Amino acid sequence: MIEVHRVSKVFSVGPVKVPALREVSFRVSKGEFVVLSGASGAGKTTLLRLLYRDDLPSEGDIEVLGHDLVPMRRSQVAPLRRSIGVVFQDAKLLPIRTVYENVAFVLRVLGAPRREITARVFDALRVVGLSSRAQAYPAQLSQGEAQRAALARAIVRRPPLLLADEPTGNLDDAMAAEIIDVLKDIGAGGTTIVLATHQARLARALHRRMITLDGGRVVKDEG
Amino acid sequence: MAISAIVLITLSLAALGGFWLVSSNLGRAVAQWRDRVRIVVYLKREPPAPEAVLGRVRAIPGVSGVTYIAKADALRALKQVLGKDASVVDQLPANPLPASLEVTPSAAAATPEGARDLLGRLAALPEADEVAGSADWIERLSQWQRLLTTIGLGVGAVLSVAAILTVTTATTLILHARRHETEIMRLVGAPESTIRLPLLLQGMMQGLAGAVLALIALMIGYSLVAPRLEPLVSLTLGIPDLMFFTPVGILTLLGAGTLLGGLGGWLARAGREP
Ligand SMILES: Nc1ncnc2c1ncn2[C@@H]1O[C@H](COP(=O)(O)OP(=O)(O)OP(=O)(O)O)[C@@H](O)[C@H]1O
Ligand SMILES: [Mg+2]
Repeated sequence: MIEVHRVSKVFSVGPVKVPALREVSFRVSKGEFVVLSGASGAGKTTLLRLLYRDDLPSEGDIEVLGHDLVPMRRSQVAPLRRSIGVVFQDAKLLPIRTVYENVAFVLRVLGAPRREITARVFDALRVVGLSSRAQAYPAQLSQGEAQRAALARAIVRRPPLLLADEPTGNLDDAMAAEIIDVLKDIGAGGTTIVLATHQARLARALHRRMITLDGGRVVKDEG
Repeated sequence: MAISAIVLITLSLAALGGFWLVSSNLGRAVAQWRDRVRIVVYLKREPPAPEAVLGRVRAIPGVSGVTYIAKADALRALKQVLGKDASVVDQLPANPLPASLEVTPSAAAATPEGARDLLGRLAALPEADEVAGSADWIERLSQWQRLLTTIGLGVGAVLSVAAILTVTTATTLILHARRHETEIMRLVGAPESTIRLPLLLQGMMQGLAGAVLALIALMIGYSLVAPRLEPLVSLTLGIPDLMFFTPVGILTLLGAGTLLGGLGGWLARAGREP
C-alpha cells in the first residue's frame, strides 16, 4: 500500500536549508492502521504531504497504491489523489460553503452524478456524526465539528487510503476519543489509515502500530 | 467578467476590423480599375482597312480586346462630353481628332512591367503615332492598400497582445480569488480540465463579447461614414458604394475575439504544483 524508502526532505528557506525528514523508511500494508507520532516540527505533515504527492522528496523513493511517486508524470497526480482521502491539518474547509456543500464539493468536481451526491454526503456525515450540522457554515462549527466535517470530506469517496493529519487537533480528550472511534470504524471497514498526531498519550492509547518521528528521523516503529 | 479585458479586445478588433474594411474597399477599387485599364493608340491617319489593323493588334501578347475609333466617332464622343457647348466643335474647319485604337490589356499585362512591355509593342506598330495610358497609378493605389493592411495588422497585433495579457491578468485574479477552491480541487484530484475549462470558457466569452462590441462599433461607424463618403469615393475611386464585412468576415472577427479571449484564459497560471 505504502512503501517509503530512505526518504529525505530538505526545505530551502532562502540560503537556509531546513532538513524536515532524514532517511525515513517504512511500509504500510493494506488495511493497516498506523499512527505517526512525534513532537511538533518532527516532520509528520511533511511526510504525509509527500504521500499524496503535494511535494517531492529531496532523496529516496515513495510508492503509494502501486504508483511510483518520484518519477510520476504530472498528469498522473490527479488519479492518485482520487484514491487518497486527506484530512488536512488546517482542515481547509471553504468558509462560504456549508458543511454539506463542502463535502459535496469533492463529489461535484470529480463529476459524480447529481442523484448520488446527496445520499453519499449524508452517508459520510452520518459516519462522523455530523448529520444535524449539514447546513452550518464552518465559522459556526466547534473545533471538533470542523474536524469531523473535514473527515467527512476525506471519506466521502470511500478511498482505500486515508491520511489524517492531526484530526484531533486541539480537542479535549473526550472529543478526541470520539474522532478516534470514528477513525477506528472506518479502519474496520478495510480502509488503510495513517494518522498523524503530536499527542503522545492519545497515540499510545490507540494500541496500534506507532511510527515515531523525532527531528525528521524514525526513532521508533512498534506495535 | 473583466471590463478592461473586454474593452481591450473591443479596441483591438475594432482597429483590425477598421483597417480591414478600408483595405478591402481599396482592394475592390484596385480590382475594378485593373479591369478598366485602357491603352489608347493614336493613329497617324485613318487606316483604309481598320479590320486588318485590329487583327494584327489582337495578335499582340497582353492584349485582351481592342476597338477602333474613327475620327468621326471621336468627334461625336467629344460633342457628347461638351454637351451644350458642343457647338464650339462645329466652328472647327476640320476634324482635329485622330483615329485611335482602344486596347484592353489582359490581366497579365496590368502589372507595371507587363504594361510597359505592352506599351512598347503597341508603339512599334507602323500605324501608331502616339501611345497613351499606364497602370502606374493603379500600382500606387495597390501599394497604399498593402501599406494600410500592414499598418492594420501591426496595430491589431500590438492591441491583440495587450488584450491577451489583460484577459490573462483578469483570469489570474479570478484564480486568486478562488484559490482555496482550486487548491481543494487539486488536492482531491480533480482533473486539470475541470479546474481550467471554466476559466477558458470565461476567457472565450470575454473575447466574444469584445468582438460583438467591436462589430457594433464598426457597424455604427460604417453607417455614419459610408453615406457621406460614398459620393466622394465613387468620384475618385470609381466604386459605387463602400462595402461592410461579408458574413464570412463577421464570423472571422467573432472567431478572432473568441480565440484571443480563450488564449488569455488558457495562459493564466496560478498556484504551485511540484
Ligand atoms: N514549506 C516549508 N518550508 C520550509 N520549512 C518547512 C516547510 N514545511 C515544513 N517545514 C519545516 O519542516 C519541519 C517539519 O515540519 P512539519 O510541518 O512536517 O512538522 P509536524 O511534525 O507536522 O509538526 P506539527 O505537529 O506542529 O504539525 C519543521 O522544522 C518546519 O519548520
Ligand atoms: Mg503537522
